[in-house]
Amino acid sequence: MVFRISSVAIAWTPSPPQVALPMPPTPPSPVFFGGPSQKPPFIGRRRVLTALAAGCLGSTAFACGPRRGGDQRQGVPLWYTYGGKNREVLERLVQRFNSSQTAVRVDAVFQGDYFEGLAKLRTALFAKAAPALSHVVGEVVPYLANAGVLQVLDAYPGAKALGVIPELGQDKSWVGGDRHPLVALPFNRSTPIAYLNADLFSEQGLSAPKTWRQLIETARALTLRSGKRIERYGFGCPISWWFWVAMVGQAGGNVIEPDGRVSLGGEAGVAAIELWQTLVHNEKSMRPPPGRDFNAWEKTNQDFLAGRTAMIWTSTAFLKYLEENASFRVKTAPLPARQRHAVPTGGTFWVVLKSAPEAEKRAAWEFLMFMHETASVITWATSTGYMPTTRAAVRKLETTGYYARHPNDRVAYDQLSQAQPWPWATELFRIQREIVQPRLESAVLAEGNARRLLDEARQLAERKP
Amino acid sequence: MRPNHRFDPLWMLLPTFVLLGLFFFYPLFFAAEKSLYAWDLLTAPSYVGAENYVDLLESGEIPHVFVTTLTFSVVVVTCAVSIGLGLALLLDRRGAFYSLVRSCVFSAYVVSWVSVALLWMWVLDGQGIVNHWARAIGLDPPDWLGDPDVALHALSFVTIWKISGYALVLFLAGLQDIPQSLKEAAALDGAGSFTRFSRIVWPLLRPTVAFVTITSLILSFQVFDVVRVMTQGGPVQSTTVFVYAIYEQVFMNLRVGRASALVCVFFVLLLLLTALQLWAFRRQQVEA
Repeated sequence: MVFRISSVAIAWTPSPPQVALPMPPTPPSPVFFGGPSQKPPFIGRRRVLTALAAGCLGSTAFACGPRRGGDQRQGVPLWYTYGGKNREVLERLVQRFNSSQTAVRVDAVFQGDYFEGLAKLRTALFAKAAPALSHVVGEVVPYLANAGVLQVLDAYPGAKALGVIPELGQDKSWVGGDRHPLVALPFNRSTPIAYLNADLFSEQGLSAPKTWRQLIETARALTLRSGKRIERYGFGCPISWWFWVAMVGQAGGNVIEPDGRVSLGGEAGVAAIELWQTLVHNEKSMRPPPGRDFNAWEKTNQDFLAGRTAMIWTSTAFLKYLEENASFRVKTAPLPARQRHAVPTGGTFWVVLKSAPEAEKRAAWEFLMFMHETASVITWATSTGYMPTTRAAVRKLETTGYYARHPNDRVAYDQLSQAQPWPWATELFRIQREIVQPRLESAVLAEGNARRLLDEARQLAERKP
Repeated sequence: MRPNHRFDPLWMLLPTFVLLGLFFFYPLFFAAEKSLYAWDLLTAPSYVGAENYVDLLESGEIPHVFVTTLTFSVVVVTCAVSIGLGLALLLDRRGAFYSLVRSCVFSAYVVSWVSVALLWMWVLDGQGIVNHWARAIGLDPPDWLGDPDVALHALSFVTIWKISGYALVLFLAGLQDIPQSLKEAAALDGAGSFTRFSRIVWPLLRPTVAFVTITSLILSFQVFDVVRVMTQGGPVQSTTVFVYAIYEQVFMNLRVGRASALVCVFFVLLLLLTALQLWAFRRQQVEA
């Protein structure tokens, strides 16, 4: 039998191997239309190609043209970075806004995860093709503000009367955030919380750990071993900067000191890494999830849902997702303390891009006002697990008994009293991504020396702008 | 052959020059220039000379990424070529069964990289099918994608699985190009199957081997998708290969200058590697 392939794509050919080719193609035959009884009209190759080209051009023109024929409303491009349930909820809110509007229409476009979205936003800013509205992680807001690409929102009507909870807004999310012009409004705001498999906890008569020591003991008690094999880990947590910052705070340190010095927590930073090392290597009661960034977060969730981990730390953002998909009762709890209780806040802020046309920016503001209405804030918070960002929304959730019926939703909000603001530092995200995060992985996964790695990180942070 | 007009060859080559210039030379010169700047796309670039290169060398990033990429490439190319050749020798036979096996092996090559990566993520998961079977027979399997000592080899395996079909098809084509009469004559002279392979098949198959090796090497140097989907360069940067390192610098760390410096280093390395292979290939041809 002769093995034949019809074509071989050869990109670079020093001397391509001889391939047994099929018979040479016959010259293209003319294309006929019509029944066999009548003489069909002849259409030559040139006509077919012309028609094809015209078709391609036409469809391209159609695709590039205005998206909604006859819609005279001012369009606002919105780039967002959620998948899954959060995406569905946001799209529902956008749809609700659009159907209520005669003057403004928001066109929401998915852009991948937070960091992919940020990369696209920067590239679009460089290409002068940025959208009017997007949302970005808190760590990059000072950097973007310093680069002068964010629209100052102070002068927009109602900007001072949105009723934002200061700890979740610009004012108190950053040290001295209220001294800078308003450039960021809170959207999906979160803190890390503990999720417990309540069935397992009840079975073993355990309660949520309140201290680091209790965390180690509880994780040990919940870890299920079968010989050398571990059937279930007691604790799970992504090896991520965000949780490390939480632990640094709990151990009494600051990542960046009030005077601007990058201390990375000093001894508290070392203690935080050593807690992870103890759980992973000594106790073998914690499994560091494979993957990085949000892949690791997703893996942590999957392990919890599948019963492979009894207790995890992750964002309050996953509350509804975990509650709805778990086959056991899910209970949430605040993170434990060492010297004190402390958590960072997370999530993203709305930003209006300065480069957008004025009409789009004004229209974007209409949407932001809508998103800060109590009904919108409540829809977003109760459908996802993120914290409600306005005082009015919290009041309503209290008075309507929502928090009494859903105590899990209350945990993150209560933790706000222990939230530590981020420094308003333009280099914060570089310290996070380039300097600290890789060393956390080295310390925990490859059992590196925590003190030496943090010393190295500190030197780099001080040296590099 | 002489052209009718002196400039005919030039204008005929113009479209190629324009395309090459626009999509190859301009980006390359742009990257070379930007590698001398600190730039984040948003603020004005500032000239830093060779600092990006020095930083990448001092931090150990270039040596680390180079060793990682080279390890990955050597494993992938060696295994893919060996497996492709072995399978081609086994499957170069008539019959529906052999056709089916050939199709099955080649089908992996036509599936998209992302689909393959997602599939293998599931298979290699800590609770996935591989570990399930391994435990069933009393083994203690590693965390394939979570162990820094194992993750790169797991990615190599996935890549080999995917591209072996490509090598198989080219080797089959090469084998079918060898005249049957030569093999029959050797058999009549008493040559066994190993002698026929080493004296007839292998020498005549060498151009195909060179071709498959070069294209597989370039392909393995450009690996990105499986890394992006399966490990994101981790754990502990054990799977940070060249293209992923460039992606990470420009899109995650917002450092266009450093990413450009990595592009330039990568370009020079690939150029050297290709030149080396070309030289070896031509020498083989001369010897033959």
